[in-house]
Amino acid sequence: MAVTNASGVSLSLNDRMIAGLLSLCIGAFLVFGAGLANSAVLHDTAHDVRHSFGFPCH
Amino acid sequence: MIVKTLLAAICAGLIAGLFMTAAQELRVVPLILHAETYEGEPAPETPTAHEHSSRESRSLLQSLASALQPITPAYAHDGEAHEDGGIMFGLSRFSGTLMANLVTGAGFGLLLGGIGVLTGSPPTLRTGLTWGALGWLSVHMLPALGLPPELPGFPAADLGDRQTWWLITTALSALGLGLIALRPEIVAKGAGFVLLALPHIYGAPQPGDIASPVPAVLGAEFAVAALATTLAFWLVLGTVSGAINDRFLKTA
Repeated sequence: MAVTNASGVSLSLNDRMIAGLLSLCIGAFLVFGAGLANSAVLHDTAHDVRHSFGFPCH
Repeated sequence: MIVKTLLAAICAGLIAGLFMTAAQELRVVPLILHAETYEGEPAPETPTAHEHSSRESRSLLQSLASALQPITPAYAHDGEAHEDGGIMFGLSRFSGTLMANLVTGAGFGLLLGGIGVLTGSPPTLRTGLTWGALGWLSVHMLPALGLPPELPGFPAADLGDRQTWWLITTALSALGLGLIALRPEIVAKGAGFVLLALPHIYGAPQPGDIASPVPAVLGAEFAVAALATTLAFWLVLGTVSGAINDRFLKTA
C-alpha cells in the first residue's frame, strides 16, 4: 500500500501544468461565482454559505 | 489524465460540500436566522432623526420585497435594492445552500488539487490533513483576523473594498504558507512570514460606525461556529482529496 513517487509513470511536466492551471481556473471561477459574484440571484442562493464561509457579504 | 485529476478534485469537493451543509445546519444557519430577526432594527446607540427616516424607507422596501419574493423576507436586506433577487430556479433556502455548498466545495477542491499538482506534491491520505489545515488558514483564519465572519446586519465597510482585501489576503496567505511549508530555505520561510503579515499591516477595511442591532454575543458565537465548521470542511476536503488521489491517481 506504500505510495511511492513513481516518476516513471508520472504525468509529464506539461500535462501537470495543464491539469494544475485548468483546475485552478475552474476552481477560482466556481468559488468566485458562489462566494463573491455581485449578482442578486447568486447572492440570495448562496446567502447562508457566503456568511458561514466568511466571504465578505453585503 | 488531466480529466482524472480534475474529477478527483471535484469529487472530493462535492463530498466536503455535502458534509459542510450538514455541519452548517447544526449551528451556523440557526445563528444566521436568529441574527436576521434583529436585522433592520435600529442600532441601539444612534437613534437619530436621520437614522429614523432611513429606517422607514427600509421597512417600506422590505415589505415590498417580501411581497414580491415567494421565498423568505429574511433575504430582503435593508438598504439594498433587490431588483431581481430570489433563489435560483425557485429552490428552497436549504436547497440553495446545499447547491452553493457543493459548488464552493468543488471550487475549493479544484483549487487545492490544482495547487497540489503544480507544486508537485498533491494531497495524499497522509498529507491531506496538513493540506486542509493550510487551506483553512489561508482562506479563513488569516483573512478572519482582519474581517471576521459577519452575521447579517453587522456593520461593515464597502463591499468592494472588503472583497478586494479578502482576495489579496487569501492569495498572499496561501503564497506565504506555501513558501513556509514547501521551501526548505530560511530566506523563503522568512519571506513567507512577511507575506502573511503584509495585508494585516496594511489593515482591513473597517466600518466607520460599529453600532449594530445584532447582539454581540450572537456575533461571537457565529464567528467561532463559522471558523470551526470551515476548519472541519477543509480537513474533510484535504483528507478525502488525499484518499481519492491515493486510490485513483497513484501516478501523480
